[in-house]
Amino acid sequence: MVLRTIKRAAAFLLGATGVLLALVALFLLSVTAQNSDEFGRLNDAILVINIVGVVLLFLLVIGNLFRLFREYSDNVPGSKLKARMVGIFVGLVVLPLLIVFYFSVQFINRGIDTWFDVEVEEGLDNAVQLSRAALELQMRDNLAATQAIARSLRNTSERDFIFQLSMLRRENGASEVTLFGANNRILATSSDSSAAALPKRLTEEVILQLRQNRPFVSLDPLEADTYEIRTAVPFYSSSQAQPLGVIQAHFPVTSRLGRMAYTVENSYQRYSELLFLRDDLKGIFTLTLSVVLLLTLLASIYGAFVFSRRLVAPIQQLVYGTRAVAKGDFDLQLPQPTRDEIGFLISSFNDMTQRLAVASEQASLNQSLVEAERARLAIILARLSTGVVALDSEFRIRNANQASSAILNTDLASRAGQSLTDVSKEGPLVEQFVDVSMMHLKAGETDWREQIVLRGEVGRRVLTCACTTLPGKDDKPAGYVIVFDDITALLQAQRDAAWGEVARRLAHEIKNPLTPIQLSAERLRRKYLGTMEDEEGQILDRATHTIVQQVEAMKEMVNAFRDYARAPDMEFGRFDIENLVHEVVDLYRAQGMHVEIAITPDPSLGPIEADMGRVRQILHNLIRNAVEALENTEDAHIDILLSRVEIDGMPFCQIRVEDNGPGFDTGSVNQVFDPYVTTKPKGTGLGLAIVKKLVEEHMGSIRAENRKDGGAVISIRLPMTDTARESIIAKLPHLADQRRERA
Amino acid sequence: MLKPRIEPLRRLYRGCLVVLLISTAAYAQQDLEREGYFEVRSAATELLSGVHTLDARLQLVLSSEALQALEAGVPLTVELQLEVIRTRRWVPDSLDAELKVRYELEYRPLSQRYIVRNVNTGNQESFATLYSALNTLGRVQALPIIDDALLEPDKRYRLRMRALLNTQQYPPSLRFVFFWRSQWQLKSEWFEWSLER
Repeated sequence: MVLRTIKRAAAFLLGATGVLLALVALFLLSVTAQNSDEFGRLNDAILVINIVGVVLLFLLVIGNLFRLFREYSDNVPGSKLKARMVGIFVGLVVLPLLIVFYFSVQFINRGIDTWFDVEVEEGLDNAVQLSRAALELQMRDNLAATQAIARSLRNTSERDFIFQLSMLRRENGASEVTLFGANNRILATSSDSSAAALPKRLTEEVILQLRQNRPFVSLDPLEADTYEIRTAVPFYSSSQAQPLGVIQAHFPVTSRLGRMAYTVENSYQRYSELLFLRDDLKGIFTLTLSVVLLLTLLASIYGAFVFSRRLVAPIQQLVYGTRAVAKGDFDLQLPQPTRDEIGFLISSFNDMTQRLAVASEQASLNQSLVEAERARLAIILARLSTGVVALDSEFRIRNANQASSAILNTDLASRAGQSLTDVSKEGPLVEQFVDVSMMHLKAGETDWREQIVLRGEVGRRVLTCACTTLPGKDDKPAGYVIVFDDITALLQAQRDAAWGEVARRLAHEIKNPLTPIQLSAERLRRKYLGTMEDEEGQILDRATHTIVQQVEAMKEMVNAFRDYARAPDMEFGRFDIENLVHEVVDLYRAQGMHVEIAITPDPSLGPIEADMGRVRQILHNLIRNAVEALENTEDAHIDILLSRVEIDGMPFCQIRVEDNGPGFDTGSVNQVFDPYVTTKPKGTGLGLAIVKKLVEEHMGSIRAENRKDGGAVISIRLPMTDTARESIIAKLPHLADQRRERA
Repeated sequence: MLKPRIEPLRRLYRGCLVVLLISTAAYAQQDLEREGYFEVRSAATELLSGVHTLDARLQLVLSSEALQALEAGVPLTVELQLEVIRTRRWVPDSLDAELKVRYELEYRPLSQRYIVRNVNTGNQESFATLYSALNTLGRVQALPIIDDALLEPDKRYRLRMRALLNTQQYPPSLRFVFFWRSQWQLKSEWFEWSLER
């Protein structure tokens, strides 16, 4: 910025110097025109100043032109306007200047030419000739008078020379008559001048001419407008043929004739002088005008650059300013150059940027507040176990929380912007959900509530859905929010609780009369078997045996109910799950069954903290359940896979019991853990229900599904540590409350 | 096919010849013009009655332009410049006195005579021919230069003299033109001699 300012100042200084030098040169030129003595002294200075001024201005103009060309090529904002303005300025200045220059030169040349006229020239020539003829007439008279004086003096003695000469001078109207002897010695002289001035001597010209025996006569101009006729004739004595000397006489020309002759001569001289200098004068004026034109032209072009730059500069600043504003820089304040309209424009721009800065700051603040609110809402949504899906008016997903993805088994959170219909292809659960939702939405139902049962590979899920509309402009919905909750577990828990109550009451109500029934049957048998005939005894024996056997069976059933309903205290201990699995499996292997049982351990599993008795019971039930399911299956085998899984950073032990039996009925996969739900002829229907209850007591999870290549899979996950278990309890508030109540 | 190529070459050749001829003619014309020169042939001083007087012979040849100007009625000023310089040994010489004698040479069309006027004294003389006028101008006789009493007695002096055509009396615009023309730059070399005392 500073460098640019310095450069501009230097350029301006150079320009100003050039203009100043030009002005100084012109001033000096005018000064020398007034005072001729200064010319010789100042000529070199004027020349140098002119050259320096012209060179400076020329360099500046070239520099500016180059810069403008470069700016134009680089598409610098304002360069085109600047070029146009420079062009207009130069056009406005150059054209009139050239016109003025042309006409000035023409005018001067013609003006000078008009000074000269053939008729005037001829007239002046004639006037000179006429004057000369008039004077020559007098000159001839004067010469004749001089010759007469010479003749008169011929017979005069030397003593009377002076007297006779004076008399003859006066008689002939001469101003001075001198008689020169040998060697130009003055013998006598007479003059009308009272001053005792020496007589005028003979010039070489006179002597030479007289030597040639020719009388001498000339017209000598004196100072101002006076002329004098000078005559000289040889002087002979009466006795000698050789001249004794020379008589020189001076005759004045009458003042009137002299003035007239002088006027004519002077006019002729001036005219001749001008005629001689005509071309030079034209050249001088043209040259002077050219210098002035060149300086003015260069100064004007440079001025055009300077003024256009000054005019465009605020516009360029505005362009840069608007660009800065477009980039979001609202703090920019442009310097206010002038108080004119452009200054007002810049002031308005500054005001606008200031307001924009304030508005932007406010918007940014509001944005950050909105962002904070949104983040808070996102956290809340993420923590919600309820699924929330926000849709726009075109049924595209705007937002979906993690719970919605977990419930529908599809990652909806990352599908923001996609149509709900497109997302429905991701899985059976989401497909059914979308079908129901779209049915309502397309039907124009904006606020609806429904319980949906979704059927998937992992079983049945019951959702309670509620939809509401987001208000938009012109009473059109801006979007929709669908809120849904997975109440499968809740329903299951309610069912479990009901079944537990039923079991407990049944056990209590049924077990009480069973023992009297059994005792009564045994008493009947003991008392009447011996007294009866063989045939009747056999009937009694079979009947009582049947009663006792059935009562035993009912007792087993009641005990099973009791076990289902009873919830003894947990005894957590640390043990190796792999060893336990081997122990349980070995029992089944020892019975010599036809089922092949394979164990796939996980070396990274390690010991777990759990109730070993309950885990053993879980394993027994699972294996027995599988073995019973495989009764009619050839090449039956069971795979038990142990593995360690991490859920939310907590270690879990996963036990998968897979068989290649018939699998679960697709419709009842979700109900296999309900009491009295069984597909086996011998099953009580309590095995998997008890397993589920035991797993849940460990805060674990259980899942039943069918294998794709046939067979069933029961998969359980047990927390491996107390910490993991506690974390699950913490996430399930109702369990935490239960624990607190127990405590 | 060669003709179109030869034709321009011929034209160029002819053009060059014409330019050469014109240039030669112009140069010859320029050569015909007399440049003119001023020269101091001899100069000497003599102490007469305590005053150093100058006797000098000059060759004054006017250039064509100066001659034309004179014939057109433009008076010419011939200036004799004399400088009395005190010679010094260790420091630059000192210009103790300077004398400029101006003579105006003029042609009067009415009398058809050339007038030589001493601008300093106002004395004038007329001549029928330019030759006579220039001859008289070039003969300086007993021109008083400096009183011997004004000079320091034990010092050595040298004099130098030159003649030049002075254009100072013309209007500046004319002088500007004359300044750039060599025919108006008539100036002799300095003629230098020691002052005899």
